[in-house]
Amino acid sequence: MKLKSSAYILYSTVAAVMSFSMAACMEGDWDTPDMTTPPYGNNAIVETDSQLVTIDSLKQRYKSAISTSSMEKIEDHMQLKAVITGNDLGSNIYKQICIQDSTGAMIVGINGTGLFPMLPVGQEILIDLKDLYIGGYGQQAQLGDEYNGSIGRMSTDKWEQHVRILPNFNTSAIDTIDFDVNLDKDRYAGYLVCLTNVQVGDADGKTTFAPEYKSGTTLTYNGSSNGYVHHTLGTASMNQLVLRTSTYAKFAELVIPTHPITIYGIATRYRDTWQILIRTEEDIKDNE
Amino acid sequence: MFLCGALITDANPQMKKNFLLAAFLMGLTDAALAQQPQTTAMSETERAVREENASFIFTESQLEEDADAGQEVIQINSSSNMYTSNVGYLFSPMRFKFRALDQKYSDVYMNGVMVNSAENGRFSFSTIGGMNDATRSIDYSSPFESNSFGVAGLGGSNNYNFRASNYAAGNKVTLSALNRNYTARVMYTFGTGLSQKGWAFFGTVGYRWANMETANVQGTFYNSLAYFLSLQKVFNDKHSLNIATWGNPSERAQQGASTDEARWLSNNYFYNPYWGYQNGKKRNSRVVNAYEPSALLTWDYKINDNTKLTTSAYGKYATDSRTRLQYNNSQNPKPDYWKNFPSYNYDVWGTTDGTGNDFNAWQESYNYWTADIANRQIQWDKLYYANLQMNKIGGDAAYYLLARHNNHLAFGLGTTLDWDNHRDRKFQIGIQLASNTGMHYQTISDMMGAENLHNTNNYAIGTYAGSDARVQYDLNNPNGSVGVGDRFGYDFNIIVQKATLWAQYTRDKGISHNFISAKIGGTQMWRDGKMKHGLFADNSYGRSGTARFLDGGFKMGTNLNLGKGNVLGLGVSYMTYAPQAYSSYGGSAFQAAEMNNNFIDGLKVEHMLSAEIGYALNLSWMRMNLTGYFAHGTRMNEWQNYYYDDVNSFTYVSMTGVEKNYYGVELGLRLKVTSAFSIDLIGSMAEAKYTKNTDVSYLLSTQGTVTTETLYNKGMREASTPLTVGSIGLNYNISGWWFNLKGNYYDRIYLSYSPSLRYESTLIRSRMVDNDGSLIVPEQGKGHGGFMLDGSIGHQFRIAGHPLSVNFMATNILNNRKLVSGGFEQSRSNYTTDQSTGEVATTRTYNFKMNPMKFYVQGFNFMLNINYRF
Repeated sequence: MKLKSSAYILYSTVAAVMSFSMAACMEGDWDTPDMTTPPYGNNAIVETDSQLVTIDSLKQRYKSAISTSSMEKIEDHMQLKAVITGNDLGSNIYKQICIQDSTGAMIVGINGTGLFPMLPVGQEILIDLKDLYIGGYGQQAQLGDEYNGSIGRMSTDKWEQHVRILPNFNTSAIDTIDFDVNLDKDRYAGYLVCLTNVQVGDADGKTTFAPEYKSGTTLTYNGSSNGYVHHTLGTASMNQLVLRTSTYAKFAELVIPTHPITIYGIATRYRDTWQILIRTEEDIKDNE
Repeated sequence: MFLCGALITDANPQMKKNFLLAAFLMGLTDAALAQQPQTTAMSETERAVREENASFIFTESQLEEDADAGQEVIQINSSSNMYTSNVGYLFSPMRFKFRALDQKYSDVYMNGVMVNSAENGRFSFSTIGGMNDATRSIDYSSPFESNSFGVAGLGGSNNYNFRASNYAAGNKVTLSALNRNYTARVMYTFGTGLSQKGWAFFGTVGYRWANMETANVQGTFYNSLAYFLSLQKVFNDKHSLNIATWGNPSERAQQGASTDEARWLSNNYFYNPYWGYQNGKKRNSRVVNAYEPSALLTWDYKINDNTKLTTSAYGKYATDSRTRLQYNNSQNPKPDYWKNFPSYNYDVWGTTDGTGNDFNAWQESYNYWTADIANRQIQWDKLYYANLQMNKIGGDAAYYLLARHNNHLAFGLGTTLDWDNHRDRKFQIGIQLASNTGMHYQTISDMMGAENLHNTNNYAIGTYAGSDARVQYDLNNPNGSVGVGDRFGYDFNIIVQKATLWAQYTRDKGISHNFISAKIGGTQMWRDGKMKHGLFADNSYGRSGTARFLDGGFKMGTNLNLGKGNVLGLGVSYMTYAPQAYSSYGGSAFQAAEMNNNFIDGLKVEHMLSAEIGYALNLSWMRMNLTGYFAHGTRMNEWQNYYYDDVNSFTYVSMTGVEKNYYGVELGLRLKVTSAFSIDLIGSMAEAKYTKNTDVSYLLSTQGTVTTETLYNKGMREASTPLTVGSIGLNYNISGWWFNLKGNYYDRIYLSYSPSLRYESTLIRSRMVDNDGSLIVPEQGKGHGGFMLDGSIGHQFRIAGHPLSVNFMATNILNNRKLVSGGFEQSRSNYTTDQSTGEVATTRTYNFKMNPMKFYVQGFNFMLNINYRF
């Protein structure tokens, strides 16, 4: 081969190499996949009117298991349609989501973290109840799985088999109850509530909502290792009502306002005590 | 030195002139080793196979495909030592590191200018991959061999000869098929040789390819083009100029280490957690895009018959980006995240029977893992869906793809004066200058359907309130909204400037060949921050202080020719090394360059004393080298960054005052049984370990605070290399055919230890204390060694009067999949801590100690290589 033609081949190839380096890309751009059918949950669950029950009717049916803090397996074909009102976005609610319909509210225990992106507040879901467990944790109504004879959390795999994400999404449709310490716990425990003009205890201008435990602290920590701090709310005693904040919460280091504020949260119960769970920092607002 | 004989290409009336030119050029290569016995006469076919193997291993293999491993092998070779001439590639399927040394101890030169990164001390061989015909001419120097281009490194040195006239004239086409990280390769090479008018040109182009269906590792691909061009003008018998330029724009996907449980569940030793299905198509989350266009200008000046000056200037602009999936307060998307495994639910290491809820959960998880391959890989569709859900509430992306960029603008200048006015004496003196501006930043590579993302440190929210300025990545643009292509998280430059003066004197006297060499150098470095980090508002933006280091040392050695083929070699060296400025693979002068301008407290110049004694026997029927070596390093600095699970924070770990010993014996033996049949025995037994506990300080990215304490790492060993290797090779030549069969044995493979598991505070907290009050340090994790059989066959045909070489190389013929090539311990403890007491609260079901992350070797793999010269 002559030098000229060899050089021509080489130069041409080098030019191709250079142009390739500028343009070609095997990885390419990736389009957002078609999400008409959610890739989360069980899309085979078909909404069946004859199986639909309300939260209130479900709680009534399993009232005994809930009130005695035991649990019972749901053997019948039943479905629940509800809207998510609380999740772990703020890391204060842990391995739970809170659901509510027009009749009531309850907790779903799921043994997973980072649930919030799939299950945002305002998302309507359909739950296939058969083979799930229902019971009371400190008399708080909860769906989940059996754990050592009590109601516990179900695995994420099991949860995905029993939940279907519905098309409806609407945050403004959620009823928010004005909280009153005298509300009926059997009826309202688990609801999204609003407390207006309430003073959070331990507010001294420095103390934060959930600082890590330090020896000598005057704050009330729940248990020795749970990492929850309980604050009083208003004039209610701690036996009646607490604001329950996790040291893992995103707002844990937010300084507690020294003035009365408005708080949104999930009003759960532990036996006879209301425990208000703030969801995110946005649930803490100045009075309007 | 291999191809110097190919220089004289023209038989014509000007032959005399050409001969002079060629002689001039040949003089440019090292003659220092000429007095040492040449021990490894090879057939052309054998050499071709070796070169092909070496090229693959050092420039093209999967050494850099594993995101957590980095590339730390040393390309060692020697013309006079049976061990070092073989070991460089022989054990590389197991990522064998020469003497268990970091690659920063091996110096790489090109036409006499050092090209190791001034920033991290290492040379990335993958940047010259795919241009094999251009990179074969190398002048090797083992640690105690004299050479013509510099003081040999602790791990040896190489000098590539990229002069155009150095390459043979003609055309060559190479076609390759293999089942390794790529599956097809084509290369075309063209050289003119040196023309009558003193011109020489050489060029090569290559393309390497694999897609996700053909690549050996699931979910990976390989797409790389390479070019190398060199043009030389020999003006007269005194002056020559050469310019060379090369590059290999590449895009490739990576493989990740994982646990044995993942391999068991997937029934795949090469389980790769980095890929998954998106819309039914395979997508890898770790994609490397790299391109380092480089140029080298060389002036050779023969001042007189005894003196020559070689000067090379080198420059490159390197771009390197590596993507990774990031999650934002959401569930870790890694399919092999510990909470996703069946053993998260049930204690598989315990003695209880498989019953109860925990076991049922284990069974459910097992069923999920094994039901469908998609279940055990990244579920891209779900991650996109999560982001679309977050869009509904106006939230930030839950998942996104980051690209970590490590770009470099580098310049180097090397000049060497070579003086040889006596047949027994030589003297060289040279200067090496280098500067490197490393541009390190992160960008958003893919929002994955999300509409919002802010440049805030979400990991720090919780430690600090969301409204706290300390959670901002850039206070100059607080709460900055970012999208695809925007810089995110960190953005800084590291500037390093180095200057080294070196000299070497060699003298032959009587039966001895002696050399002494020394060098002295200065290094200065600083950081230039482009973001004002919330946790370090006062010392992260703008220029840091400048750190300056003085390093150098000496090296001396002698070879005593005792007669009758007996040669005794002795060498001793004392060197100091300035700290590495920054390397994302490990090694840094900065406490946490991603966050602030602080240098590590107590940073010092590293000291290394080393010595070697070798014995060589060269007989007509046997060649043998036996070498013992020792090196003791003090005041060494080490640095790591990784996710510290126990505290849910990224951590930057600085170790100072590290002391290590490296010692061992090496044997290389070739028995020439007949003129056609020979047997090779190669092996080494090495030790490389910490000799004392180390001062450690670590910074948590969520808090910005530094904790200093003791790291109990005494006795820990260098990881991800077999410390014991042995090989028996059979070579047979007949009628132009070459056969080779090698049985290789590997053992004592340690996994990279996790510092955080051995902090004093960790050991006390987890009550790792014996009855005498002494701390019980966890043993270092180990990998499984074993035996591997490799073979090669080659032949050179002649087609139309031109040579056609066919080589077939098979590795791991017995398909031994159980060999571990490396890995690392997980950095999480087996317990949770009670916040109120600081004591162990509960023991986790999942056992991290029993689940280290490992890489396994490839099973049977082959490479068929056909080349035709015309």
